[in-house]
This record gives sequence, structure tokens and C-alpha cells, in this order.
Amino acid sequence: MKHATITEAALINDANSRSTAKPRGRPIHTMLVSFSAAYFTGAFVTDLVYWQMPDVMWERFSIWLIAVGLIMAGLAVIAYVIDLLSRRQMPAWPGVVGYAVATLLSLFNAFVHSRDGYTAVVPAGLMLSALVVAVLILTAGVTSALANRHRVGA
Amino acid sequence: MHALKNAGSAKLVRRLAALSAAVAVLALAGCDDNGGDPKMQIGANPVLPKLQQYLMPPIRIAKVVGWGSETPKVPQGLQVHALATGFAHPRSLYVLPNGDVLVIESNGPKAPIYRPKDIITGWVQWFAGAKAKDANRITLLRDTNGDGIPELRTVFLDHLNSPFGVTLVGHDLYVANTDAIVRYPYQDGQTSITAPGTKLTDLPGGPIDHHWTKTLLASPDGSKLYVGVGSNSNIGENGIGAEYERAAIWEVDRASGAHRIYASGVRNPTGLQWEPETGKLWAIANERDEIGPDLVPDYLTSVQDGGFYGWPYSYYGQHLDPRIVPQRPDLVASAIVPDYALSSHVAPLGLAMYTDNELPANYRGGAFVGEHGSWDRTPLNGYKVVFVPFSGGKPSGPAQDVVTGFLDADNHARGRPVGLAVDKAGALLIADDVGNTVWRVSSAHVGASPKPGT
Repeated sequence: MKHATITEAALINDANSRSTAKPRGRPIHTMLVSFSAAYFTGAFVTDLVYWQMPDVMWERFSIWLIAVGLIMAGLAVIAYVIDLLSRRQMPAWPGVVGYAVATLLSLFNAFVHSRDGYTAVVPAGLMLSALVVAVLILTAGVTSALANRHRVGA
Repeated sequence: MHALKNAGSAKLVRRLAALSAAVAVLALAGCDDNGGDPKMQIGANPVLPKLQQYLMPPIRIAKVVGWGSETPKVPQGLQVHALATGFAHPRSLYVLPNGDVLVIESNGPKAPIYRPKDIITGWVQWFAGAKAKDANRITLLRDTNGDGIPELRTVFLDHLNSPFGVTLVGHDLYVANTDAIVRYPYQDGQTSITAPGTKLTDLPGGPIDHHWTKTLLASPDGSKLYVGVGSNSNIGENGIGAEYERAAIWEVDRASGAHRIYASGVRNPTGLQWEPETGKLWAIANERDEIGPDLVPDYLTSVQDGGFYGWPYSYYGQHLDPRIVPQRPDLVASAIVPDYALSSHVAPLGLAMYTDNELPANYRGGAFVGEHGSWDRTPLNGYKVVFVPFSGGKPSGPAQDVVTGFLDADNHARGRPVGLAVDKAGALLIADDVGNTVWRVSSAHVGASPKPGT
């Protein structure tokens, strides 16, 4: 019971501290960004499986994961623009550019994955999928490091 | 401090952006290369460029405008007119012994969507006029007074399933639907068949049924039927399991319906004919896409019993296709080089060996090929009927354009030639599945009635 209270208090604190930085709670685009990142990462996993075991099923999983990831990314862009306009905020450039690079690479990857047969994945598709995951991890790392710095600084 | 850190990450971000921009430029640079002169790829030794893979495969389709008052063009000494118009996607033709012309009005079954690409392909095909409703019907045309204009037009057979090949042996009429060969009783002079058909054998059909046309040819003694069964994919992207007994020419026993694979590795054999001089089986085939505007040339070839022609592992003998893994070096080692290349992406869909006397003598003994036309090549290739001269049972010279004008000056399609047949009078018939017309090419001598009809 006591433990629960503490957690609640922590949550409230967390919410309060966040609300100082971002006035109206967690914006929707961050959720969409997480979704698309998860889809792109999933495609990397199915690419790895295809590379080891070239059954077309895995290649089809990959292209659909990339395609849905791109749709999510498109929605994220729309949500982000609305957020920026309504909050009159400056964009968080490192995160924005990192994510844009990952999305652009994924767009190329979708075309590579639309080839027919083995070369839809190996080697170019697999390499692009890996690169996208690397860029996403790097972006997340840089963004969170900057956020911590902000928080400490504040 | 804060600013410094920001500057560092901004630098990294800029590098990444530059990298992806470089990738983009490279990718786009690879997109706009045109195909070479198709003449380099006609005959026994086509020039085969290096294989290339695309980020975005080129799509170049001819917008359909229809014929209006135009007709196809033929060289001097020949004339062309519409035998009949107003068909629903006529794909192939068959001439009955009494001279009646069967027009097979057909289209492929609905393609399933396995990848986002399949949605795009559907749009492209719709734009190219390939998404016409499947009429699933055979129409009969009868020219009673031999003037080249049919007086009678009836629905000969209806409620078929994407039919393509038709052949008559005695009083048995065989129709190759996309999923089965069906036999119907036929009496001389019959204009409509209402009797139910009897299935001779199943053929590889759905659910994917990528190459759906099943061409049909009876052996001269009538004991065997030869069936062209196309592959279930461009290059195996639906899995090798989907290709079971496909990309092959089947030999079906007419009495029992049992079949064996007569030849394999032929990606899409769309026309079969007996070469008149040697009596050998010849086929036209559509080769693979998406490795370049000049790869891989479609071909005309004699078909050897038990022969393997490369697909999907290799093309033109031992040129390996990297899109297929695992490879089959054992099969590739035995891959036969086709006899005669027709150049890349022309899409040969009709074959007629000419043995009659109506057309000028130089056409006798050679092969007419209906080239439906390219959709993934710049400049466009095909969209015409060509003639390949033969001598001694082998092609003996470059292909000549015979029927052209399917494209207008702006590269819009008035029509697209598909199946060919020779009518009882010896004129060449051409099914035009976009112009929805059957064209008749005859000699330009006295009128168009060299022989009286029945």
C-alpha cells in the first residue's frame, strides 16, 4: 500500500516535472514515432531470419513492417507539425533529423524490399534495415542524453 | 557546455543527412537509363548486357487511346481490315476446320495482394487496359460468303474460367481454362455448345496464378496435347513451392489425362506450334523482368523433350540470376540456350507458323509472332506482329515488322496484338485485346476473297 503511494507520488512528480518542459502532457507524435521505430526494428529482425532461412514469408513480413512503419512515420510528421504549431515550440532538431534520416532510409528500404526474390533482402535490404535500427538507437541515445542534460540543467 | 554538446550532435546528424542524400542521388541516378537498339537482341546471339537491379523498377506503359478510324499498318502487298470489333479483351483465336473463327475473350483471375507492390502493380495494369472484366467466353464468327466479313456471330461457349488455348481433335473440342483442360463434344458446323464439358486434367491455377494463360496444341496424330504452363511469379518471389509443375510445357495423354513435364525452365510459354518442315515443337516464351531494359530477351525456340531452359536459376544458358537462392548448379549446367531471341520485354503472346498460300510466298514456312508490347522498358518495344523467316527448320534471318501501327506518334496504344491464327483462306488473324478487335491480314490482290467460304 505504501509502495503504491510512493509510485503514485513519483508519477505525479514526473508528470509535474514534464509539464514544466511541455505544457500539455505527452504529445501524440512521440507515440507514433515509437510505433514506427518498432516496425522498422521488426523488419530488421525478419530480414535476419530471411537471410538465414530464405522463405518468402519473412521477406513479406519485412516489407509490410517497413510499409506500416512508413505510414506511422507519415502520421507522426503530421502530428508533430500540429504539436509544434499549437504549442509554439522550437523543434528538437537532433531528434527530428535523426528520425528523418531513419525514415528516409526506410523509404529506400521499402523500394529495395519490393524487388523480386532474394536480392529484395540480401544484401542491400538487410544492410539498410540494420542501418535504420542503428540510426534510431543513436537518435534515441542523443535525444535522451540531451533531455537529461536539460533536466539536470533546469 | 550545453551548446557545445548540441553542436556535436548536430554535426553527427548533418553527416547522417549527407549520407542519406548521397544514397538518394545514387538511387535516382540509376533510374533513367534507356534500353538499346532491339535489333542487337534479335536472332541466335543476342547481346546480353550486365544485369542491374533497381531501387524503383522503370514502368513505361502506353496509355490506351483506341483505334478511332485508324487501322494497323502492313507492308506493301498486304492489306488489313477488322474482321470484327466490340469484343471483351480477346486474347486468342482458333480456326475450326469449316473456317469458323473462335475468339477467346478472356482475362486473368483476380491477383492476390501479398506485398504492397501488388497494389501498385494492379494500378499499373489498370492504366494499361489490362484490367478488363473477364468475359470468360468464346465467340464464334462465320463468314458464309467468303468476303472476309463474318455474317454470323454467336456465343460459342460461355461461363469458362480464364480460357486461352483451344484445340479440336476429331469431334472433341479442348478448352484450356486457367485451372483445367475441359473437353466438349463438337459437331461440324455447330455454332454454340451447350453440352457440359468433361475435365481431362487439372492445370496449375490459383490462388496466385501469376501467368494464367494456358496455350494448347494437339500432336499431329491427336494422341497428345501440349500445354504451355507459365510460372507463378516473375522470378520465384512467391516461393519455389508455388512453381510446382509450372514454367513448363506439359504433355498430356488425351486418352487418360495423365501428364508429364515435356520441357521445363520456360518462364512463360504462351504459344506452341509444330514447325512444318521438321515437325518439331516450337514455342515462344516471355522472359524475366526487373534486371534491365535489355534483359532478358523473350524468345522463340524449338522445344527439346526433357529440356531445361533456365528459369528461374539462369537465362540464355548459364547466366545466373542472383535473385534465386538456393541456386541449382546441377540444373543450370544443363540449361539450353533458346534458338532465337526476339529482344527484351516485347511480350510475345501469339505464334503462328505459316504454311498457306494466301500471303506472299516469302511468308511461307516462317513464323508470325504477336508482340503484346513492353511495360517496363524505355523506349517501348514490341506492340507489333513480326515475321521470323525459317529455312531448313530453323530461323534464317532477322525478324521483319509485318503489322505495326498499334502505337500512335505519341506512343499511345491504339491496340495491342495477342493471339494469332491463320484462317481457312490463309489470311493471318490477330486478336487485339486492348482495341477489342480481331484484325485480318491478307494479300492485297483482287478484293479480299481468295477462296470461297463454306
